[in-house]
Amino acid sequence: MQALLNTGSTINEGRLAKGGNKYSEDYTKECAVCWMCAEDFTSLGCPEKVSVTSRDGKHTVAVRSKVTEAMRSGQVFIPRSIWANVVVEPDTFSTGSPRYKGAPVSVEPTDEEVLGAEEIVLTLYMGGE
Amino acid sequence: MVFKNIICPVCGGSCDDVQVNLDTKNRTIDVQNACKMGNAKFQEVVSSHRILKPTIRENGKVKDVSWEEALEMSADILVNARRPLFFLGSETSCEAQEVGLHIAEYLGAPADSNATICHGPTVMGIQESGMVGATAGQAKNRADMIVYWGVNALESMPRHMSKYGVFPRGYWTKRGRFDRTMVTVDPRVTPTAVASDMHLQLNPSSDYELLSAMFTILNGKEPHPSVEEITGIPISVMKQTVEMMKESNFVAIYVGLGVSSSYGKHRNIEIALNFVKEMNNYTKCNIGALRGHCNVAGFNQLASYLYGYPFGLDFMKGYPRYNPGETTTVDLLREKDVDAAFIMSADLVNHIPADCAKYLADIPMICLDIAPCPSTTAADVVLPGVIDAMECDGTFYRLDNVPVYFEPFTESPFSETKSNEDTLKQLFAKIKAKKEA
Ligand code: SF4
Repeated sequence: MQALLNTGSTINEGRLAKGGNKYSEDYTKECAVCWMCAEDFTSLGCPEKVSVTSRDGKHTVAVRSKVTEAMRSGQVFIPRSIWANVVVEPDTFSTGSPRYKGAPVSVEPTDEEVLGAEEIVLTLYMGGE
Repeated sequence: MVFKNIICPVCGGSCDDVQVNLDTKNRTIDVQNACKMGNAKFQEVVSSHRILKPTIRENGKVKDVSWEEALEMSADILVNARRPLFFLGSETSCEAQEVGLHIAEYLGAPADSNATICHGPTVMGIQESGMVGATAGQAKNRADMIVYWGVNALESMPRHMSKYGVFPRGYWTKRGRFDRTMVTVDPRVTPTAVASDMHLQLNPSSDYELLSAMFTILNGKEPHPSVEEITGIPISVMKQTVEMMKESNFVAIYVGLGVSSSYGKHRNIEIALNFVKEMNNYTKCNIGALRGHCNVAGFNQLASYLYGYPFGLDFMKGYPRYNPGETTTVDLLREKDVDAAFIMSADLVNHIPADCAKYLADIPMICLDIAPCPSTTAADVVLPGVIDAMECDGTFYRLDNVPVYFEPFTESPFSETKSNEDTLKQLFAKIKAKKEA
């Protein structure tokens, strides 16, 4: 499914990040989540987890899915965090700020494991060091 | 012991009414008046995961070292790099940022701060059109219409609505919430939108079109009908919103990343600012950015005052240059245009796109922070941070660019440093000694 990715803060994301708990299970539960509407969730086959892939296909991240009335069809939301930023586009339109809002992504069901923030750094960014 | 009127160092709200009861014997802290986010950070003073020892990475292994060794290695990395990036994060004082800027100038390096991945486009929009602004107090006392545009205030600055925006009783708004109309513009049904009197649920990335249609209406013209399909908002609702604004005594608009990070970026802000200027022909109207990071405004003020530019500075030529898209952090990392980095009081690896984060993890990186996070994991040197407003004094700039001086209620837990400013001064002395040797 093609969708526009929105990212932003949630109160618990803020509480856990500011409290220095980015490596906690709670943080992963709060942030490694893709919000979508019931219609999109059903069309994907009601998956427990989804993989979100950037437009250029270079980056993919597995997150849990969450159904909410806050979203409209064709739009997904991931709380501001390392998971969301794996698929945020690095182009800044000459402003310095990447496309945290409105980047086109594809969302598909997956069985892949949802990684913790530390695992993402170690495996995706530091090459398994 | 109980301490009153402590400043919260977490978001741009810089709440100044926090009450802290610190029990040093049992290592507990009780915090009154702060929100969930603020409270979580105050707990860091006594938390078990606090970074208390400098570390370095050697052959892939992390080991504890002395402050002296960590500062030596940091200075070596920065002096030997051809183009180190200084990311002077916002969760620290202007005083620390100032030293960081001077080091960058001394080394001819680029220097940037959280604004670059936050309200940078807002600042650029302000440079384009100028801004009709007001302090938070003005809005509190006068504003009878509040517009949250592209911002979920309840979750990004949790006390904004209760302290400055919607609920407080002001001189001209004695009945608090009852004297105010609240409108939210957001593609998502956020808790802020739910608490509003009116929610304009626009399509993502259509802020520019919506603002320009409202601008057209304000000028007494009819917008093109296609704008309804583009924005998802009926023209009648746009007209109603403009009319409500015109009939108010004082409109306070708060913009968030929904405007400045969406497609259109600084142009969205530019048209919003022009709309506000035009609205002042009818009523008082002002606009301000809801700044999520504490003291993110401070870096903009400080860098503008010292070097003429608000963020994304580059001292490579021996004088400050500013060219967003070239001298800004994400672009420098994406283009692999720096070969080392110093990250202070900001978890940069967490907040930037994968390509940039991967490159940042590849190059030598020094990170000054208080708790384990993706940036400290990827860093080659970790310097423990001192918590501003709790363990040392200094200055923050609030969301409305008002400077706030803060005093600590406890001391730095390190005998080697009193504050991040102190740490940076020690680092600067080492850098100078190495350069001039
Ligand atoms: S609103 Fe911001 S400044 Fe105020 S208590 Fe919460 S985190 Fe701290």
